[in-house]
Amino acid sequence: MRNVFAIFRKELQITFTTPVAYVAFTVFTIVSSFFFLRMLSEFQRRIMIATQMRPQMLQYMNFTDHVIQPLLYNVAVILIFVVPFITMRLIAEERRARTFELLLTNPVTPFQIVLGKYLSALVVVLVMVILVLIYPLLVWTYAEYGGPEWATVLTGLVGLFLVGAAFTAVGLFISSLTSSQIVAAAITFCTLLLLWVVGWAATDNTGITRDILSGMSAIEHIRSFAKGIIDSKDLVYYLSLAFLGVFLTHRALEAQRWR
Amino acid sequence: MIEVSNLTKRYHRLVALDGISFKVNQGDVLGFLGPNGAGKTTTMRILTGAMPATSGQVQVAGYDVFEQPLQVKRRVGYLAEVPPLYEDMDTSSFLRFVGRLKGVGRKKLGGEVDRVLATCGLEEVCSRRIGNLSKGFRQRIGVAQALLGDPEVLILDEPTIGLDPNQIIEIRGLIRELAENHTVVLSTHILPEVTQICNRVVIIHRGRIVADDSLDKLTTEERSLEQTFHELTQQ
Repeated sequence: MRNVFAIFRKELQITFTTPVAYVAFTVFTIVSSFFFLRMLSEFQRRIMIATQMRPQMLQYMNFTDHVIQPLLYNVAVILIFVVPFITMRLIAEERRARTFELLLTNPVTPFQIVLGKYLSALVVVLVMVILVLIYPLLVWTYAEYGGPEWATVLTGLVGLFLVGAAFTAVGLFISSLTSSQIVAAAITFCTLLLLWVVGWAATDNTGITRDILSGMSAIEHIRSFAKGIIDSKDLVYYLSLAFLGVFLTHRALEAQRWR
Repeated sequence: MIEVSNLTKRYHRLVALDGISFKVNQGDVLGFLGPNGAGKTTTMRILTGAMPATSGQVQVAGYDVFEQPLQVKRRVGYLAEVPPLYEDMDTSSFLRFVGRLKGVGRKKLGGEVDRVLATCGLEEVCSRRIGNLSKGFRQRIGVAQALLGDPEVLILDEPTIGLDPNQIIEIRGLIRELAENHTVVLSTHILPEVTQICNRVVIIHRGRIVADDSLDKLTTEERSLEQTFHELTQQ
């Protein structure tokens, strides 16, 4: 555990003294703010229409459902673009700079290396999830009545964190296969993108194929979290993807040592 | 202290090490020589557990490198050919990190880092970013990290490369001091360095050992170490 913590700490030190993390946070915040503002103005427009046309509809219009829910879905999509930048460095860079040898010749096991690195990347993901919390907080501060339903919002953010955790594990694994950060980022991005769009193919199919394809889509599983529902099938999806990524990374490191 | 028997390493079809065997006794300072590409670095990487062998056995301090790697790694300080450094860290946080990996306790860590900083003359750069330091400093940080936790065995792959003459003298002095209570394996191309520091020499050529003897026997009145080396590694 001490070793895991040592690696974890070193990774965080490097992450937060180099610009990469800050660039990721900035890009992430700019794009998600754009989505937030879009959803917010769309929500306002609908309220205006409803007030004029059908005032009875107003009781069904709720900020959490109309703004936060679609926002979380969109932010999860942004993670597809941002996570590769966070994970590309993790192992590929150690390989390129030959610092991996330092880890290999010290009394650390590959599992401790993988775990320390994974946990450090999760901290970065966690920071991004907390950044998303700004939007409901803003509305909560300025809304005259109503405001977000906190239980739903927090469940959604847990879902977002799980998406990030699963993506990070995939990125970590891909970073362990190459010594080029660019290659790692490109392949991670491509994989995550496919994990998302595979759900689109579901509409062309029927029966079991359809269920499998829509079940595979990484982003679909955040929908119920965003509604405030923790469904075990979504939980299992993200946790198994995260576990698989970490497990494969460990296997990859072990295998390369013996080459 | 170190026992290598029948060590073979193949990279696909290329045979890098062809069944080499040698022993290093406690307190020895072994000069590990050979032309470029002879297999020196490969041997050192296997000794430190950075890379597995194709076949053969290596024991360090009574532990098998392949069976009990962690026990071996705790007892070995290794300076690789290219010192593995995190460019984005500053010198002392880097050394603290390596110290933690080596299992230096929290209370001792600060003192231990200060000790190696002082030994290697790194105090002035302790809060500078490693990526901005000169080659000589980087090399010394490499030596410093190998000394952390005071391991019994030091494996140094070309420790004086890239240093200026003054630094070379300092590092040599340092190695000589360390030799008093450590077992050292030192690879280098600078033969006078070997005559000054080492008491034993192993010469490796094309993956085979061509000489394994005490320094006195390999250098005589009429033949310098250079001549011996040249003759043995000609073909």
